[in-house]
Amino acid sequence: MSEATWHRLHPVTPVVRSWKVIAVLLVIYLQQQGDELFAGGGLPGRTELLVSVGVLVVGTLVGVAYSALSWRMTRYQVDDEAVHLHSGVLFRQQRQARLDRLQAVDVVQPLLARLLGLAELRLEVAGGAGSDVKLAYLKEADAQRLRNTLLARAAGVRYDTEEAPEAPEREVLTVPVERLLASLVRSGTTVGLVVVVLGLAVALGGFRQFAVLPALAPAAIALVAAYWTRFSREFNFRVAVSPDGVRLRHGLLEQRAQTVPPGRVQALRISQPLLWRRPDWWRVQINVAGYGGGGAGEGAGTENVLLPVGPRQDAVAVLSLVLPDLGAADAVTTIDDGLSGMAGERGWVVAPRRSRWVDWVSWRRNGYLVTDTALLVRRGRLWRQLDVVPHERTQSLGLAQGPLQRRLELASVVAHSTPGPVSPSVAHLDAEVALRLLLEQAERARRARRAAGPERWMEVPQGGEA
Amino acid sequence: MDPFAPPGVTWTPVSPRLATARRLVLVVVLALAALPALGVALLAGSGWPLLGLLPVVGVGAWLWWLIARQVRAWGYSESEDDLLIRKGVMFRSMVVVPYGRMQYVDVQAGPLDRKLGIAKVQLHTASASTDAVIPGLPPEEAARLRDRLARRGEARLAGL
Repeated sequence: MSEATWHRLHPVTPVVRSWKVIAVLLVIYLQQQGDELFAGGGLPGRTELLVSVGVLVVGTLVGVAYSALSWRMTRYQVDDEAVHLHSGVLFRQQRQARLDRLQAVDVVQPLLARLLGLAELRLEVAGGAGSDVKLAYLKEADAQRLRNTLLARAAGVRYDTEEAPEAPEREVLTVPVERLLASLVRSGTTVGLVVVVLGLAVALGGFRQFAVLPALAPAAIALVAAYWTRFSREFNFRVAVSPDGVRLRHGLLEQRAQTVPPGRVQALRISQPLLWRRPDWWRVQINVAGYGGGGAGEGAGTENVLLPVGPRQDAVAVLSLVLPDLGAADAVTTIDDGLSGMAGERGWVVAPRRSRWVDWVSWRRNGYLVTDTALLVRRGRLWRQLDVVPHERTQSLGLAQGPLQRRLELASVVAHSTPGPVSPSVAHLDAEVALRLLLEQAERARRARRAAGPERWMEVPQGGEA
Repeated sequence: MDPFAPPGVTWTPVSPRLATARRLVLVVVLALAALPALGVALLAGSGWPLLGLLPVVGVGAWLWWLIARQVRAWGYSESEDDLLIRKGVMFRSMVVVPYGRMQYVDVQAGPLDRKLGIAKVQLHTASASTDAVIPGLPPEEAARLRDRLARRGEARLAGL
């Protein structure tokens, strides 16, 4: 096996990387020209044009040269325990990611890379933002192979062949484009759009205030961008399952293939905006330690989507992929109660009637259910939510009480999860019930952790090891 | 029923010197807030602008009193498997951090804290929302607590 050899990234990498430099230069140039045109400067003269083209060419060359240098300095190595990456031209960096701490492996292909048959491999380890190891770019086939190897080693699978075999995959569901489009039409963005258009109609029709039009341009651009981001990222969403974990593939221009190994999902949220209620569509998001999410940066939030939009049975299906055992006698009924149930039925503990003084809309929905393996938290009447936290993934627990809650003898319980879109909290429980939940949940988490499987999810436990 | 007093848990209070530290900061801030009024009074050569200080003094007195209560409300308890921290007077909260979930422990002391002989211990888990801070510990106690937590964390270490 070629264990200790150091590898280089694909030699085309510098070119693919520096297209961004070119794009930025072009945008700056065009913007300035545009400003000048508007200012009545007319079209640029010949010398001016030559100078700009010169600057563009020099800038590109510098960009490519730097990328080439950085490519030369970048090497990676994969052994049984870890991935090592050395990089940096002026400031050298040596990064090592332990495979048993691997949280997810993504293969990302921006448009240009895809055209050239290249791909970026991203290894997520649980170290907060910027802790991932990025190998950009590799040949697509190499990236796939490396992913299989890494996942096999991370899983603790022993294989005799030179290369790790690709884990067999089974497609579970896809999200059709029509549904994605319809879901966008029914999204909160549309509500915002309608409000803006109504406001505009009043301003123009009633008051003849045409001066507001240019001021609206940024808002219009932001709206279009919001639709576009969501559409392009969640386009052609496919969910598959393999022994490696859950595979998610999606993207219009930039394609992503994510692999989240078993047991790496820290918490899960199924939610339904008001306008999705008629078709009974749901969105499923997850917290994975390496993904972070919610924050800024490219791809923020997309990585955390397990199902962009789907009917109830799809939501239940993806839930059962990441949490095969919900620990309830009748999982489907339990989830149904969690998604659309009201008041306490079948074991759901709900907020008392007096909590309507602090939450008059959804006090009937606020509640939780404890199963053998997970804590289920539901809230929201208009915007329905169900959060699922496996017991062994609870980080810490909090109890909070404001002055109003104190008067009403209520308290809220928060389960702290890794950074991500899911932040489970049970609102306005009876104070005594809340305290009991807090203490019992801490105890349950402890027991579940002791019984939890190994980090290397396919490793056969060996005797004699602690 | 008080949900912030679980049965069988004894709370260790933090040092009253924390109140001293916070009050010192409060006095400095109030003094800065009072400066404009004093300046005006001096320039005008009359005492009337000093009346503007009344609200400042009022708020100051309230905060002075509140700080004492807040410091008294702060407490922690080391149980068998987790660390409990409670705090807050109006907005009360309590957090339960399992030792095995701790990723690292911080001990911090600013210049004022060092002068007064207090330090702050902060626990970090893999969750950013874990708000587990114990301010106002004597430095030796803070160091002891840190070592104890680290030892217990190691003994009960769990992955993510």
